[in-house]
Amino acid sequence: MISENERWILSFYRTSEISGSLFFGRLAKSLKAGPIQHDMTKHYADEAMHAWYWTDCLNKLGVEPLELGNAYQDQYLAAAGMPVNIMEILAITQVFERRVINQYAVHSRAAGVHELVKSTIDRIVEDEKWHIKWIRDALNKMESEYGKSTIDDTVERFLQADREVYAKTVREHEERIRELFPK
Amino acid sequence: MSTTLSTNDAKAKQALGEALKRPVEDLDDRILLNDLVAESFALIETVINIQEDLNIRLVQEDLRVVKTVGDLVRVCSQRLG
Repeated sequence: MISENERWILSFYRTSEISGSLFFGRLAKSLKAGPIQHDMTKHYADEAMHAWYWTDCLNKLGVEPLELGNAYQDQYLAAAGMPVNIMEILAITQVFERRVINQYAVHSRAAGVHELVKSTIDRIVEDEKWHIKWIRDALNKMESEYGKSTIDDTVERFLQADREVYAKTVREHEERIRELFPK
Repeated sequence: MSTTLSTNDAKAKQALGEALKRPVEDLDDRILLNDLVAESFALIETVINIQEDLNIRLVQEDLRVVKTVGDLVRVCSQRLG
């Protein structure tokens, strides 16, 4: 069995992966055929699998996932405004994926993490590394269309939003986070 | 709703109708986009759909002034040249 706070954070991850999957699935359906459509379709499938890994992990730990409201990334739009084109979507995704990898690394290093949670994180992080790579490559290729400085400014805008959203999330769940990841 | 649409306006409105799966006749220029697409991620999907369909790129400045169907049709039409 795991604590209620552990159950909450694993459910939080699961909700976030589901939101990401649904979003990328819809976009993959909209995009014209080409390398971005190809990689975004895999990205969507990966996120769906990650949601399944967390569901399965929670079940194997003897609990059911909690039904949570908004996912972490839902708050990005309020903080940074809506991404309006595919470059902006990739920029916001790159920022989000970096946050995900950092969070999973923090969790994996925390004391007393269950082996099943650790192995689930390790499995997911391998995919997340590829997510960051394909998006970085796609953004590099977009420099001729959008301009490097526009792309850099867009990433910076979303980084700022991410810092705000992360700080707000930590404030809102301070007690849980202190117990899960004591300094 | 205006009765005479330029070719670009007509193309843009057609793309919006397809993205929303609604007949063009239902898309009065004065309708607020938030009333048509309540969820933020669905609005992003709609905007991307239109750009893919029309082969155009919108930027932040374009959408800053967009509130209604007519506004969105106008900025897409301008991007069509």
